[in-house]
Amino acid sequence: MPMLKHPLASAIALTLGAGLALGLATSAIADDHEPAWAQGRSSDMADSPLAPHATPLTVTAVEDIPIDHIRLPDGFSAEIWAHGMPGARMMARGDDGTLFIGTRGIGRVYAVLDNDDGEDREHVIIAEGLTQPNGVAFKDGSLYVAAINRIFRYDDIESHLANGDVPEPEELTDAFGLPDDEHHGWKFLAFGPDGRLYVPVGAPCNGCDVDEDTHATIHSFEPDGSDMRVEARGVRNSVGFDFHPETDELWFTNNAQDWLGEHGPQDTLNRLVESGDHYGFPFCHGHGIADPERGDQGSCNDIVMPAAMLGAHSAPLGMRFYTGEMFPEEYQNAMFIARRGSWNRTLSVGYDIQVAHISDDGERAAISPFIVGLLDPRENDFAGRPVDVLQMPDGALLVADEYNGAIYRISYETPDYVEE
Amino acid sequence: MRLTTRAPWRRALVNWGGAAALGLSIALPATAEDAPAVGLPFEEQVQVCGACHGNDGNSQQAGTPSLAGQPELTIVNQMIYFRERLRQNEVMTPQARGLPDAEIQALAAYYHEQPVAAPEGGPDPELKARGQQLAAQQRCASCHQSDYRGREQMPRLAGQREDYLIAAMIAYRDRTRGGPDTTMIDVMRGIDDDDIDAMAHFFTYLHAEE
Repeated sequence: MPMLKHPLASAIALTLGAGLALGLATSAIADDHEPAWAQGRSSDMADSPLAPHATPLTVTAVEDIPIDHIRLPDGFSAEIWAHGMPGARMMARGDDGTLFIGTRGIGRVYAVLDNDDGEDREHVIIAEGLTQPNGVAFKDGSLYVAAINRIFRYDDIESHLANGDVPEPEELTDAFGLPDDEHHGWKFLAFGPDGRLYVPVGAPCNGCDVDEDTHATIHSFEPDGSDMRVEARGVRNSVGFDFHPETDELWFTNNAQDWLGEHGPQDTLNRLVESGDHYGFPFCHGHGIADPERGDQGSCNDIVMPAAMLGAHSAPLGMRFYTGEMFPEEYQNAMFIARRGSWNRTLSVGYDIQVAHISDDGERAAISPFIVGLLDPRENDFAGRPVDVLQMPDGALLVADEYNGAIYRISYETPDYVEE
Repeated sequence: MRLTTRAPWRRALVNWGGAAALGLSIALPATAEDAPAVGLPFEEQVQVCGACHGNDGNSQQAGTPSLAGQPELTIVNQMIYFRERLRQNEVMTPQARGLPDAEIQALAAYYHEQPVAAPEGGPDPELKARGQQLAAQQRCASCHQSDYRGREQMPRLAGQREDYLIAAMIAYRDRTRGGPDTTMIDVMRGIDDDDIDAMAHFFTYLHAEE
């Protein structure tokens, strides 16, 4: 190991343990000798070629970014807003305009500097060597980062970045006390309108019995990690949520169980009705399907049904409500949902952005494609994987493409044929 | 890209990603932390790697893996795990520090093209047969391919050094080999030393004359 003489050496040392601790943190739930993603695969599927698609860890050259594949409704257009950040996942925007981006496999957190002068935006790596630092959230000048199973807070991050350095993070891991399971242990992070930090804890398995207060949940905490509440139970793996701009309700995406079938159970969009409600895992899936192993006739009786179905294995992740002024009126308070795309079915779905419009009674949503073209159904192949969306102050929508390490900007201009 | 008015970044933690993406070169001196190969021409980088891995990627050094014939993504991903300190190894973590993606990719492409040399010595037919049976039970071929030449991030096993294969499998089983991909940790759980020896022997001498 090299000697570390740098003033930030302690920050590096903090992260060094992550890779080593990873094995110890792995839960022993997976079937013997099966990798985590294959858990639950039936013996007659043992030779199935289906497996997760590897995410590139290297920079995609700008000319190879599939911006020209993207198709949008009339009036909308897409451009490359930032690029060169392998594995770019979840986004959070600082008050001064810095875009913070989490990752999984490559272990980095990026910051895209707000220095648009018509040329390429600069980005810096503000943390590295972490285990799946997927979650980022920003509040009161501080950046919060969630890795497995560690929580960091970088105070006054934007003023430090303006001075060309990165502050030493405060580690809040012990205060939050999150489980250390690797499987579905990567976190989404967002602050609620109540000022609390919302943190999902996925099931540490494909399908298994869980303690409904510790796993397959969405928790909330005070920003310092105190006063934990279980907001939602029976949520197999949520990697995206947002709060309704008028009702403050929590809406979240959820990834359903694999290896139960090509066409089901479906991934879902959900609405939190009452804090502590149960969404079915592991005994009830999708729109009310009892688990073949753990469920029975009454398994779906007392659970909250989804607000919308998002397709089997489509992997809906980041989602946000739209409140901007740039897009047409029909998008007000609608949700944009990034679907990373499937691996556990032979005919691929997802690899797109869907828009969800809420019903008049506020309880259901209808789903419709918004960004397509990254999936080529004729070849059953894909060119990009959208994982998160973020509204900018001008009303444009940013989209993170994990596969190409790029951020796209979606903007709108009224088409010529529309009378204003 | 503007590079003029900004304060110098503390490069140990903070790298100029935007510049690398554009293929621009920034005249920053290599830091003490950077690997010896950083900044060298390709031919000299191959010599640095070759000192242990063999000039043609066929390792003659105990415990050091051969790189010849490995899938490009296998080499790229492992080098990036080392570079990002996601995989700790006394030798390789320092050797990878600061190497740009493009240089890692060029080295990976070179070693992928090198022919795999025949292993030293010959197989023990009984041990090889047992290894073959175990590899089938473990479904190794479902990822490493039926001829064990590997695919994408999943390494070539055929013809790899026997001592390296044993050490790698034990490290996965004992959870001493880190890295973001935990597939092999799960696969190797609880496999005993004798079975590991047999599988390693089978892979090393897969194409050897009996």
